[in-house]
Amino acid sequence: MQLAGNFGDLSGDYLSLFFLFTILLISVPAAVYSTGYMMGEYGGKKKAVLWALLAAFVSSMALVVLTANAFVFLVAWELMSLLSYFLVVSDFKHEKSVKAGTIYIVMTHIGTAFMTAAFLVMFRYSGSFDFSALKEACSTMPPEIKNIVFLMLLAGFGTKAGLVPLHIWLPYAHPQAPSHISSIMSAVMIKTAVYGMLRFVFMILGIGAIWWGNLVLVLALVSCLAGIMYALTENDLKRLLAYSSVENIGIIMLGVGASMVFMKMGLPAVSLLALCAGLFHLINHAVFKGLLFLCAGSIYKATGTRNIEHLGGLIKKMPVTAAAFLAGSIAISGLPPFNGFVSEWLTLQALFTGAVNTGGSYKIFLCVCAALLALTGGLAAACFVKAFGVTFLAVPRSRAAERAGEVPLSMKAPMVFLAAAAVLLGVGAPSAIRCISAVADSVIAAPAGGITLSASLNTVIIASAIFTASAAAFYFMRPRRTTECNTWDCGYYKLGARTEYSATAFSKPLRIAFGFFLLPYSKTEKIRDSFYHVRSFKYEVFTTPVFRDYVYEPAVKLVFMAARQVKKIQPGSIHVYVAYIFATIVLLVIFMGRF
Amino acid sequence: MAVGLILFGILVMAFAMVAAKRLSALIFGFRAQSFFLFMLTFILAWRENSTQLYIVTTMLFAVKVVLVPNFLQKVARRIKADEDLGLSVNPTVSMSAAVLLSYMAYLFTGKIVSIPGEFENSALFISLSATMIGTFLMITRMKALAQILGLLVMENGIFLAAASVSGGMPFIVEIAIFFDILLVVIILGIFVFKINRLFTHIDVDKLTELKG
Repeated sequence: MQLAGNFGDLSGDYLSLFFLFTILLISVPAAVYSTGYMMGEYGGKKKAVLWALLAAFVSSMALVVLTANAFVFLVAWELMSLLSYFLVVSDFKHEKSVKAGTIYIVMTHIGTAFMTAAFLVMFRYSGSFDFSALKEACSTMPPEIKNIVFLMLLAGFGTKAGLVPLHIWLPYAHPQAPSHISSIMSAVMIKTAVYGMLRFVFMILGIGAIWWGNLVLVLALVSCLAGIMYALTENDLKRLLAYSSVENIGIIMLGVGASMVFMKMGLPAVSLLALCAGLFHLINHAVFKGLLFLCAGSIYKATGTRNIEHLGGLIKKMPVTAAAFLAGSIAISGLPPFNGFVSEWLTLQALFTGAVNTGGSYKIFLCVCAALLALTGGLAAACFVKAFGVTFLAVPRSRAAERAGEVPLSMKAPMVFLAAAAVLLGVGAPSAIRCISAVADSVIAAPAGGITLSASLNTVIIASAIFTASAAAFYFMRPRRTTECNTWDCGYYKLGARTEYSATAFSKPLRIAFGFFLLPYSKTEKIRDSFYHVRSFKYEVFTTPVFRDYVYEPAVKLVFMAARQVKKIQPGSIHVYVAYIFATIVLLVIFMGRF
Repeated sequence: MAVGLILFGILVMAFAMVAAKRLSALIFGFRAQSFFLFMLTFILAWRENSTQLYIVTTMLFAVKVVLVPNFLQKVARRIKADEDLGLSVNPTVSMSAAVLLSYMAYLFTGKIVSIPGEFENSALFISLSATMIGTFLMITRMKALAQILGLLVMENGIFLAAASVSGGMPFIVEIAIFFDILLVVIILGIFVFKINRLFTHIDVDKLTELKG
């Protein structure tokens, strides 16, 4: 019997190693963190199960990026999805966890179905699942089939990556998992989809048409903006981070999509630059998103809530966590000298370089991309000002926040480690970029890409230096004497935690400005003793999840309607079931009798 | 001649079961049908003088003529099921339907198979009739015990087809089928017993709660 490829083959090229490095860079600190996080949270048996699942989960991710056989890839991919599902529902006593898990597993299986279909189409041409054989076969594939395969791969990997409108599972699954798991899922697991895109679309399928890149760019832009807008209006810390993951995947895909477009335009150097930017943002996002999720976990562990409206003043109770969270926030907002700045800067550079080197409508399109990326960066900064400010500054708004204390060393150390990595990747960007350009080189093999890179890197270094210098100057020149006094309260003398600037209030202007997309609505509830005396007043703001309400719910409704129709033939009576069989036999007898 | 009479007996007993209104009559019908089947296989074994067929014949007698009917009767007595079978189609209409089914089976076997020999041809027609009548019983009788009997009648039909057309299935398969039947009847009998205890009735048409 002939096997359909070598199932044991591993691919040890730069791309695989880069992703393996990223996986380990986040997973190891997260595993260390989990020792402290699970203490007192779970019993001994459950802890053992969670450890085993975690180990298997990380191994399956490693197998996904290491294998050189599409069949093994699919199996590892499915293992990764299933194991992460079990980790998401590890708090299975909460109804929310189970619901989140269900949404996750349904979405991820839709994605896997698309991928399987794509692989099978490719297999039809190659007769083997080996990457090398697939690659050979793809060069002879007719372009229409190539287009279909690409769309299926995009849908499959897009679901895992959380590209809008396939992002629906992220804000459910990531918050419900234990924090070290959401850290790994959000920082690394969704990146395996980017690996899949690079491996299968860039290296095996080959980019067929320029509209592929345009499609990815548009989806990426929508993800960026939708992700950050939802993040802005979110008050649940982990959901906020999950939406921000959607945004950052958008930024990564912006680099990937731009790389596809430039490659087709015949600008290999710019293409390489764009891919470098994407890959660099990938590892950066892994670092700071992993860090932020760990911080969110620490806050949850210390206070028992994830709603930032109930927090506040934590900077005094949890100084290390606060510092780590601040580092993560600065990095994710794209400020120097942290790593997020460098990769976002490079992405912008790539888009502008491309715009300069092309003409016509592409000039405008690429400039619009760059402008929207800049807008995303600004909104991200606003979002994390809110997240940090409301959580850590001012005075505590609840008993839980008042009683919070710093987390143990096993949880602090990973956070500090990742924060240090964020700084290191920012300050040491030139060396990091050199490694990553080798990775990008192995993906698209472009000649002489170094020139543009070093030119744009100089700017990065200068900007970092200026920022660091001004920060240092502020530190040394700040006024030494501080006086403590109450905030001026117009003579009211009763300012308390309840009168603080809240997260909802902070995001209000943005809710109004982007009302066309967020469709906000509010509910008020007054209880009066009399016309003049209101005993209690409740004000709640909601935003409409457009994609859920207008895409998924109608689709789900349709499925259920069809299912109800089908259900009518299922009366639950044995007689009727036997009668079906019987009727079939009789019909067959009559039918056969006619011949 | 004798074989023809026996085959006729099998068909008549199938009709008798359709006409039966009471549980004991149904079980008796099955016992008689199995006995005819036993005689038929005995004659076949005697003709071919094969030890394996003799063993099959013995098992047929033991399982279908003695053990299963006795067991079913015991279950029926134990749960004090009333004799009424719960006919959803009255005996007259049932009878007409059964005749119609047999006629269809006759046409069908005549058209699809051209087997030489009167015996094989009519054996196939009767086996198909028995199978369809068994299914018909399962559909139109409300008591769970009647479902078991319908299934057994179907099995008798299939056994007849195998025995007459191909000279029996492979020995090991035949033995396995007997064990299957025994197990199925025991399991179903126990289920009926449990259903009765839980719901105080064994009317299958009332057991429709478990649908999705």
